[in-house]
Amino acid sequence: MASPQPIINTPETSTTNPQTTSLPDSDSNPNKRRKIAHASPAHAEFLNHINWTSQSEQQIYSANLLRTLRQVLRRNPSPSTTPSKSRQVRYAADRVLAAAAKGRTCWSRAILSSPPPFNLRRLHRHKKAPDAKKKVTGLRSLRNGTEKRKLPAVQRKARVLSLLVPGCRKVSFPNLLEEATDYISALEMQVRAMTALAELLSGGDSPSGLAAESLS
Amino acid sequence: MSSRRSRSRQSGVSTEITDAQITDLVSKLQQLIPELRARRSDKVSASKVLQETCNYIKNLHREVDDLSDRLSELLANTDSNSAQAAIIRSLLM
Repeated sequence: MASPQPIINTPETSTTNPQTTSLPDSDSNPNKRRKIAHASPAHAEFLNHINWTSQSEQQIYSANLLRTLRQVLRRNPSPSTTPSKSRQVRYAADRVLAAAAKGRTCWSRAILSSPPPFNLRRLHRHKKAPDAKKKVTGLRSLRNGTEKRKLPAVQRKARVLSLLVPGCRKVSFPNLLEEATDYISALEMQVRAMTALAELLSGGDSPSGLAAESLS
Repeated sequence: MSSRRSRSRQSGVSTEITDAQITDLVSKLQQLIPELRARRSDKVSASKVLQETCNYIKNLHREVDDLSDRLSELLANTDSNSAQAAIIRSLLM
């Protein structure tokens, strides 16, 4: 087998994820480990999150996604109950993404525990916050006489955000912000990886030239 | 910025969340969003950051949907094509 990852061009620059295998320093340089252990608690949670911008992370995701998709699309199920291929692809892509998070975030756990899509039940993704105006939350509404039924703008938007990030409807505001931050980075990686895959698969006439191109 | 001292309801323990903590998280979020990255953080309100975050996530979702469409079509035709099988093999190894 030739060199296993010919596609990685830039070296790993992240030192925040000690599990990344392409970092040789973490073994030979114990000082780096000590630095991470002494990180302030406020940053400790962030250090546990995956580095979604790394090349290797995207590489691994692409490989896993491709493998999963080939399994998914090879099945010949009854067309009446299964959702469209596009939805199956989307579902698989989300699950592989959530798996890459290694269970450290709320959104990833929520994705992994949600059931597969079913054809008859159309899952609507574009939810506005329907209850934000109806719910009268005690103290806040009494404070401001003119805005009895409306939540403050920030709270309304926080609610919309909590509906967009999976599994975050009831988390606290700071946790919501953290989850959203991680979720956005993960989504961006997902877009990069899927775009690269689509490019590779759609221009597949010269495989040698394309395989040498970077996936990023 | 209005004070947003909130208590986490679900755990039952009243933990105080400082404004500084929230400001910090909001500015980290702001750095991620392309539309707001260039602006100075004291000129962007938290409300705007949240708004743009929501819009950005919706856009990303839409992109992923479009890409899923594209990939589902591409992969449906790919199995018999040996060139693409070579690409797939090179990725998986």
